[in-house]
Amino acid sequence: MILVELRKMFRRPRTWATIAVLNALPILVAVLLVLTDLAPRPGEGPPFLSAVLSNGTLYPLAALAIVLPLFLPIAVAVIAGDSIAGEAQAGTLRYLLTRPAGRTRLLVAKLVAVMLFVVVAVLVVAVVGYVVGTTMFHAQPIGGTVIGGTGGTSFSGTSLTPQDITNRTLMGIGYVAVSMLGVAAFGLFFSTLTESPLGATMGVLAVLVSSSLLFTLDAASPIAPYLPTRYWLSFVDFFRDPIQWRDITRGLSLQAVYVGVLLTAAWANFTTKDVTS
Amino acid sequence: MRWSVVGVLVVLLASLPALIGALPVSDAAVSAHDLRAAVLASRTVAFSGYAESAGGLALPVTDQLTSVADLFSDRTTMRVWWRGPTDNRVDVVTATGETGTHTGTGGSWTWEYERATATRVAATPLALPAPPDLLPTALGRRLLSEATDAELTRIGARRVAGRDALGLRLTPAEKASSVRRVDVWVDRASGLPLQVQVLGTEGSRTALDTRFLDLDLATPSARTTAFSPPPGAAVRVGKEAEVVLEAGRRIEPVPLPATLVGLPRRHLDGVPAAIGLYGRGVTLLTVAPLPERLSDGLYDSLVQSPAAIVDDTSVRVAAGPVGLMLVEPPDEDPYILTGTVTLDALAAAAARLPGLGSAR
Amino acid sequence: MSGVIVTRGLVKRFGRLRAVDGIDLDVRAGDIYGFLGANGSGKTTTVRMLLGLVLPTSGEIELLGGRMPRAGRRVLPRVGSLIEGPAAYGHLSGRENLALLDASGPGGSWRTRRQRIAEVLDQVGLAGVGRRPVKAYSLGMRQRLGLAAALLRRPELLVLDEPTNGLDPQGIAEVRELLLDLHRGGTTVFLSSHLLAEVEQLCSRVGVLDRGRLVLQDQMATLTAPTGATVVHTPTPDRVRATLDGRVTAIDGERVIVRGDDPAEVNALLVGAGVPVTGLALQRPTLEQVVLTATGASSDRVEADR
Repeated sequence: MILVELRKMFRRPRTWATIAVLNALPILVAVLLVLTDLAPRPGEGPPFLSAVLSNGTLYPLAALAIVLPLFLPIAVAVIAGDSIAGEAQAGTLRYLLTRPAGRTRLLVAKLVAVMLFVVVAVLVVAVVGYVVGTTMFHAQPIGGTVIGGTGGTSFSGTSLTPQDITNRTLMGIGYVAVSMLGVAAFGLFFSTLTESPLGATMGVLAVLVSSSLLFTLDAASPIAPYLPTRYWLSFVDFFRDPIQWRDITRGLSLQAVYVGVLLTAAWANFTTKDVTS
Repeated sequence: MRWSVVGVLVVLLASLPALIGALPVSDAAVSAHDLRAAVLASRTVAFSGYAESAGGLALPVTDQLTSVADLFSDRTTMRVWWRGPTDNRVDVVTATGETGTHTGTGGSWTWEYERATATRVAATPLALPAPPDLLPTALGRRLLSEATDAELTRIGARRVAGRDALGLRLTPAEKASSVRRVDVWVDRASGLPLQVQVLGTEGSRTALDTRFLDLDLATPSARTTAFSPPPGAAVRVGKEAEVVLEAGRRIEPVPLPATLVGLPRRHLDGVPAAIGLYGRGVTLLTVAPLPERLSDGLYDSLVQSPAAIVDDTSVRVAAGPVGLMLVEPPDEDPYILTGTVTLDALAAAAARLPGLGSAR
Repeated sequence: MSGVIVTRGLVKRFGRLRAVDGIDLDVRAGDIYGFLGANGSGKTTTVRMLLGLVLPTSGEIELLGGRMPRAGRRVLPRVGSLIEGPAAYGHLSGRENLALLDASGPGGSWRTRRQRIAEVLDQVGLAGVGRRPVKAYSLGMRQRLGLAAALLRRPELLVLDEPTNGLDPQGIAEVRELLLDLHRGGTTVFLSSHLLAEVEQLCSRVGVLDRGRLVLQDQMATLTAPTGATVVHTPTPDRVRATLDGRVTAIDGERVIVRGDDPAEVNALLVGAGVPVTGLALQRPTLEQVVLTATGASSDRVEADR
């Protein structure tokens, strides 16, 4: 069942088009950076972007930071919002359910497929970012301290070995993927509420936009720690030395709570609803 | 049935923060006097933690001092590793980088990630306000350092950073003070101030609230607090504090009254004689002559403030408990009064000042 | 039990509307069951309830001996269905669509999948369609693909909702042949339709739904059984009445209804009297008449879509 869903998703041209669009912006940014050599001013622009001019191996993180606020959530919302609602709209849902695919099983398979999409999308952005970064920027060798490799500097001003950078980048990628799982859970839940994939996607985006807006509002600070987008940018905390685990663990638990609640709600709704599409 | 599972789950998770917040806090019968003594003795207590300060002070100041103004008006989050007064590190954490201040015996390193710059500053008796000064520990000790027992009362305990913190309230005795009160919550075990709230006489908003969100009393490793500039970083020597002091020294001393609005004059090491410092504890007033080129820009930005009170020769404005008054007498050089006193007290003080001369 | 589909007091309410109002279906093994009703009479909702897509407000459903929707996982693999038109993933070929659907549930071994797909495509007349994506199919081809999906696991029961939609007359005839062929192989067919003619030609048993209620359910043979009268066609109806005085119940043009269930006897009497007879038959009600009688005033809605 899960394999079936994966085949469906990854054989779909739209899935790959989404991932391709996702990579367009970081590549464009890289080209512009190389052509103009104008790094963003300190404190402005996405994290890591000012650092990539001197060390291209950080570009995967810069690329993630570029797509994280908008493009990545939209991509995940589109795919997740389509998961059940798309089948309902196409009419294939009734045939899947009378096959019978089992409503809970179908939901789990969709969930796994969407999660895998999240992971693949994040990984592709990171890999493309790495290729772009190492071919277009310097992969800065650190004189003497590290032989035959490249290292970098943490936010805190300590030197990181290439091994450190790789580990922390991988953890950062993992964290971004987990952050997107919350988006996916919203998408899956809304997808069980409506027969319109667009409606489900819009629902997710409405939640994310409200969350981002409330986060900037001082009056909303009492609920700020519970906003789904609150800890998204905490993946940069892996690049502090020592690693600042506080927001990372909070981000992970918050996503776990959202994913848990939304999936239970999606399950409760989907297994008891009348399929009339 | 299935929806009720969802309902129970949501209610459970939503009430979790409230349940944790409702955990009983144990108070202790410690007198205000002893609590203040414990705070002042806590300088050498090692800890590490995560603190957040939120200032409600919107200072209408010129471009030169924006970093100081941001400090008091923004939300600042800090990580601290404290091995002692001369071995510690405070990082101001932002979404895209951080600025770390590593203090050692001979001075401090400031590392700015986004500029890839390390700045060495030698230890000086007087320094401009910096983020580390906003830590509850530093601020709490500073505000309580000159408090008398008569000004202190005990208030109830509360939970700060998951620890039992005993409340201590400082109500300034001076009439001129613009600070209504300062509440400090002190860790029962270590004497470290965990939260400091400053309330002004105007309005009910907290002017400054700084608190720990996490605190760990284990001694942090020396590797964490040490600093050496990373390869590729720009290294420079910071002289900002000296520049300010040097400017002050070039001002010709003028006779200043021994008391102003009931506040006695005081002297601090390193402060030029031309600058008058008055007051005690949390009620402080500074009088300083100002070069004309600085005063014009300051005047223009002050009068634009909606709360500014403008008369023939002066403008005064309050930002929370901090008052600022710029006087430009017709035939004499301008001067500035600022401090934690009320606007009326500022005006009264200005009226008592003789003509001030400035550096030429 | 021999009931393939049995429902008791099946009710479905959408808000205040009772879409299905207490129906007791009884479909037996070997039937070709015609489920007649106007659009909006609750047919589709009933079909969806039978297959576990819509959950009943009250009442019981037994499908192939299992209580729906709980036994869905056990009994649904033995049911093939076509509900409200076919549906498929447009970017995949028909063959891949069938393979994916077959892999989505129990009861379809992957070992035999290729062969089964080839067989059903051949059966519905899509054997030569190749790797064309479904979005390039015509409406009729999609309908055939939907039928193929329903037949994929050689089901014991076929539940078909308007299976001839979108097909040309040639296609309709082919589907009818296919269904009769399957029926001869032992498959029970539940055919939901608003087309009286289709049901009349195919079905051995009929249920009629009107505004959520099952107003009629019986064997086709019983419903259209002789009424005990004989229909006489004659150019001279007056002479028939004169000859068989008292036995004529109605005259309609050249058509005369005569009491008596033996046409031979009627014929002998008329011929003996020298009345010309052009046609002679036992009177049987048409399905249309039966339905009209059963559904009363609102029955014109059944005809409206014809």
